[in-house]
Amino acid sequence: MTNFPRLLEVLVSSGVEFIIIGGVAATAHGSAHVTVDLDIVYRRTPENMARLAAALAPHQPYLRGAPPGLPFRFDIDTIKRGLNFTLVTDLGDLDVLGNTTGGGTYDALVTRSESRQLFGLEVRFVDLETLIYLKRAAGRPKDLERIAELEAIVEERRKS
Amino acid sequence: MSEAADPSSLDLDPVIEAYKKDVDRTLIRENLKLTVDERVRKMISVLGFIEEVRKSGRSKT
Repeated sequence: MTNFPRLLEVLVSSGVEFIIIGGVAATAHGSAHVTVDLDIVYRRTPENMARLAAALAPHQPYLRGAPPGLPFRFDIDTIKRGLNFTLVTDLGDLDVLGNTTGGGTYDALVTRSESRQLFGLEVRFVDLETLIYLKRAAGRPKDLERIAELEAIVEERRKS
Repeated sequence: MSEAADPSSLDLDPVIEAYKKDVDRTLIRENLKLTVDERVRKMISVLGFIEEVRKSGRSKT
């Protein structure tokens, strides 16, 4: 099971600039669904990519679903050459995205995010309306139920 | 694409509206009474319970 508090602590304490999207962001906004991984959008500056690589290095990041033994190293060169990574670490599953379908990069999303306290840490979540937009833009049938719930949250918030 | 599109431009989607009828709004209302920290901790607690149930199921087979 993913150790969400520890994963976030590792990222925050290393100074990684990131925004939480996906299921954990949905939970933060009031969703009743559970999620098994942490999805983040990271800022693609050289400094931040170096911080991200250094933060995860002690936690054995490896491509999720890839056969064991592939020569994969999650270092700054790999991050520069790639963009989005679905990783397994010794702290659990972590999706590290440089760009999101419909939402763009960290810099495009940061104005549509909000800072909140979680496990005693200051972290950024994408805002609810943008989260809905991202899920719609992803166009995955499996998200339909989630999108419906997120839109219901918007409606419930308006009532209160 | 590096720019985020405008989320406020979303139209009503009839498929999503159909799914919305099955959303349990009582769960949402209870969650909205909690802080962000409490919501995430609650989800992790539920996830832990699901893991335990799965482990239990595996150990019997």
